[in-house]
Amino acid sequence: MDFSQRVFCGEVKTDDAGRDILLAGWVDAYRDHGGLLFIHLRDRSGIIQIVFSPDVAGENFCRQAAALRAEFCIAVQGEVRRRLSGTENPNIETGEIEIFVKKLNVLGESDPLPFAISDKAMVAGSASAGEDNVAEDLRLQYRYLDIRRPVMQNNLLLRHRIFLTVREFLSSRGFVEVETPCLTMSTPEGARDYLVPSRVHEQKFYALPQSPQLFKQLLMIGGMERYFQLARCFRDEDLRPNRQPEFTQLDIEASFIDEEFLYDLIEDLTCRMFSIGGITLKRPFARMTYREAMDTTGSDRPDLRFGLRFVEVTDLFSQTKYAIFRQILQRGGCIKGINIKGQSEKLSKNVLQNEYAKEIAPSFGAKGMTWMRAEEGRLESNIVQFFSEAELNGLKKRFNVEDGDVLIMVADPSYQIVVSALGQLRLHLANRLGLISAGSFYPVWVTEFPLFEATDEGGVTSSHHPFTAPDRVDFDPKNVEDLLQLRSRAYDLVVNGEELGGGSIRINNRDLQRKIFAALGLTEEETKEKFGFFLRAFDFGAPPHGGLALGMDRTVSMILQTSSIREVIAFPKNRSAACPLTGAPSSVKREQLAELGLLNPGGENTLPGDAHQENLLDRISWVSRIGATAEERKTLEQALVQADKLAILARENAGLDDPLCTVTPVANRMREGAKEKRSIFAEKGQLLKSAPAVKGSYFKVNAVLE
Amino acid sequence: MEDIFSYRREESFNAKEGLLKDWKITVQPNISVAGWPADAGSKALADFTALEDATIIDRLKNAGADICGATKMSEFGFGIKGSKAGEALRKKEVNAELVLDLMGEARLAAMRANVFGFKPGYGIISRFGLIGLIPSMEACGILSSEVSLIGEILKIIAGADGKDFCLPDESLLPAVEIIPGKTKVGVIREAVQGLSEKENEFFTSQLGKIKEAGWKIKELTFSEYDLCQSVHNIIGAVEASSCAGRYDSVRYGKRAPGTKNWNEMYLQSRGAFFGLLIKSYLFQGAYFQFEKYSDYESACRIRKHLVREIEKLTAQTDFLITPVRMPKNASTPLSLTETYDQFAATLFANVAGLPALCMPAGENVCGIQICGARLCDLSLLSLGEYLCNQGWGK
Repeated sequence: MDFSQRVFCGEVKTDDAGRDILLAGWVDAYRDHGGLLFIHLRDRSGIIQIVFSPDVAGENFCRQAAALRAEFCIAVQGEVRRRLSGTENPNIETGEIEIFVKKLNVLGESDPLPFAISDKAMVAGSASAGEDNVAEDLRLQYRYLDIRRPVMQNNLLLRHRIFLTVREFLSSRGFVEVETPCLTMSTPEGARDYLVPSRVHEQKFYALPQSPQLFKQLLMIGGMERYFQLARCFRDEDLRPNRQPEFTQLDIEASFIDEEFLYDLIEDLTCRMFSIGGITLKRPFARMTYREAMDTTGSDRPDLRFGLRFVEVTDLFSQTKYAIFRQILQRGGCIKGINIKGQSEKLSKNVLQNEYAKEIAPSFGAKGMTWMRAEEGRLESNIVQFFSEAELNGLKKRFNVEDGDVLIMVADPSYQIVVSALGQLRLHLANRLGLISAGSFYPVWVTEFPLFEATDEGGVTSSHHPFTAPDRVDFDPKNVEDLLQLRSRAYDLVVNGEELGGGSIRINNRDLQRKIFAALGLTEEETKEKFGFFLRAFDFGAPPHGGLALGMDRTVSMILQTSSIREVIAFPKNRSAACPLTGAPSSVKREQLAELGLLNPGGENTLPGDAHQENLLDRISWVSRIGATAEERKTLEQALVQADKLAILARENAGLDDPLCTVTPVANRMREGAKEKRSIFAEKGQLLKSAPAVKGSYFKVNAVLE
Repeated sequence: MEDIFSYRREESFNAKEGLLKDWKITVQPNISVAGWPADAGSKALADFTALEDATIIDRLKNAGADICGATKMSEFGFGIKGSKAGEALRKKEVNAELVLDLMGEARLAAMRANVFGFKPGYGIISRFGLIGLIPSMEACGILSSEVSLIGEILKIIAGADGKDFCLPDESLLPAVEIIPGKTKVGVIREAVQGLSEKENEFFTSQLGKIKEAGWKIKELTFSEYDLCQSVHNIIGAVEASSCAGRYDSVRYGKRAPGTKNWNEMYLQSRGAFFGLLIKSYLFQGAYFQFEKYSDYESACRIRKHLVREIEKLTAQTDFLITPVRMPKNASTPLSLTETYDQFAATLFANVAGLPALCMPAGENVCGIQICGARLCDLSLLSLGEYLCNQGWGK
């Protein structure tokens, strides 16, 4: 078959009526109308209806076509015809035409599918094979089938366009794409490394890069001036819902620039990327210092799509007689609140007291929550009688209170607890009250992060990494107080409460860098050991430089508004960092391990982390999720020893019979005629009665992860 | 009496008209009675209240029975240590007791209390509303000092139940007449081995009695008899481990405080739920499931073989008679192996799903159990009644 003449399904036009064309693709859906067989043929460009008619193709041929099934790969030759008036399908691009087949060539048959692929958008009322209906691990196991779905194809196509835009735009601004190695040294990024054993250098390991941080700075010292890379990075972190062990990062670094250059560049680039998803971002992006973000939203990733900013009210209560506030203020605490404008109808006393004050606020770490509702010019609450007139008037003025407003306040000796709890309440309320309009995007630069954080041992550690430039250089590396006051020249790009990326202006001065290491408490020797090769480069005239990295999976996912980043990655890992398609990670042959010097030489030939070294009891305790106390262990160990004896006995006496699971004849029962209905015990809430924790009409459990 | 009961009916009660009117029956807290606490003797279900009646309770109530309380039980009814089953009967407080029989608990408790203990054959009594542990082995046992009442209760609670999807479409066979010259009983040689001299003497004298009455006694060989215990242990542990998966501190049970994430919640809550005996059993189950699955399958293969061999034995005779050692009142907790050893003579009926009846043992040195083929429960009870009327077993 000569595919050079092939026409793409989605590109056949009404004007082609009368032409004979060659199409190839997959059977998306088929309908047999007694002799007349209709098939929707799908390729990457779209879907077109093809018709097998005995009048055109002959009976025999139609019988052959009747054997076609979903996802057979076929090629057909036939005539383009306009559909009869009234039979057009407005759901597909090519809905006004159809192909009357003259020749059929089955290129590849398909087994029955593990899940439906067709969107069947052209058949009214059909369930679609959306990501909601199929277990994700099954989709990942048959990812190549999942990718046949137009939604997935579109996601990958748009990802490609976004990447293309990045490359074109940055190239036009004089940036050069340079590749950096994947087999490299561990870098100081803070997460765990993926290690690759070296065969040549026994017992030595490469690390996969967590980011090309050091290399991109070396490229600046190497005089490349403007560099970018769509780099694959690896982090062996604890699993979180929207993380992948490997991810793609847009890595940018430039010399002889300042923050403003990068803001301008990245804003321009971000707007271009988002426009591919039909999203227009307003420039310039908002900017907010870290301090302001924490003070008014309780997060360094503020979601600014809605108001509900915090208001500081500590000073209003300096003379308060309300015991709880007074005690908190005596301990140096603070009080902040939010005015939830005009929502008193949705936030009844009951909701505020029994849900928010009693359940939700404590679950966010606050010891309590104070609420007030504004009615007829007064503030109403269960504790309003404890406050003086002056305090209540102060609140009204500070919050600009009008009737219908609801005030919530959190007081605590710890500033951290106040802003963190209030921040989570802010998000909770915005979601509950529907304050976030769908399709709105609010980018913001968060700046002036603290350069250092205090450690438990009384010293400091870098908030970002030790190469980040401070806002001033006249600090005393021995004075912890002074160090904690330093701001960094780092910036994060945050959209809708999600951090898309971040970066900083780097240190290019040897003396300043030494001062920073001194502040971190590293000796000359330690510094040399950790960063020697890198610091040596700064001895040869390092230019001022800075850069940024954007998480591309997350960015593309946000632009396409997908439910998870896995929807925009062709072959992602699942939530447990495994690949259901290939089975990675997998065990390897002993010989491979031996070759890599990973078998314990001369010992019992046990592998590092091999099952034999692990404690059986702990493993069983873990897989069955039953904890065991120290006193119980001896008895449990004896039970396992006994179990092993039983297992051997069973193995030796197994015989050849089939395993028996029940002594009765198997009864397969169907609930014929029965309609699915909600349990009456669910309706009356009785199912929840014995549960240790309940939220609304749900069982409440701990978070999957901390 | 309070030390016998975990719960006594407080609500007023209007008995329905029926065969069981005025008969008092107790359950254990692993049999659901709507509104009653049902913790199955475990912290895993602490403070759990049954939402609806088990099918058997529903049927008993409809027949007029007075479900009057629940007696204390061992954790999940596994073993009889800590169980007060049979005590209310011994004190003549009630007419019958329902006790789940996983490997012989109902029968041993009955022997201890000097009453009849009956385990129905597998698959004729609905398990809907029973909080079980070993689904393929357990059956709701009936204890009473009168065999005839056991028969009445059995007839009322047996039979298909739309709520129990595992129950096959089978019904009990009618009772056959017991004729001393014609009815054949078999004695499994391997089941008699290991008896002490006194026990052996007693058992032989009992057999002598019925021989004198003209009964035919056939000695049978069942060389794999001892494997029953291992097979029960392996399969039981695996099923228990699966069954106990539902005790998650989410839907019921107390949650361990201060756990940070999901896994910790499970580990610590479940760690605190189970007593050491059950925990040992669950660890064994998880060991077979996660480490030695093919050996679990081997146990299921052996079970098939054992069931077939036992069917051959019951085909050669009408009934099997086996001795059962009296349970000792040990003061210390029993280990898993010791617990299993206690049931060595009763558990083969659970492995093969046979109906089995233990006779009252009084002060005897040894108890006696009779078994029949599956679905022959009513004939077995007839035999029990016959032997009882003959003054046998005394």
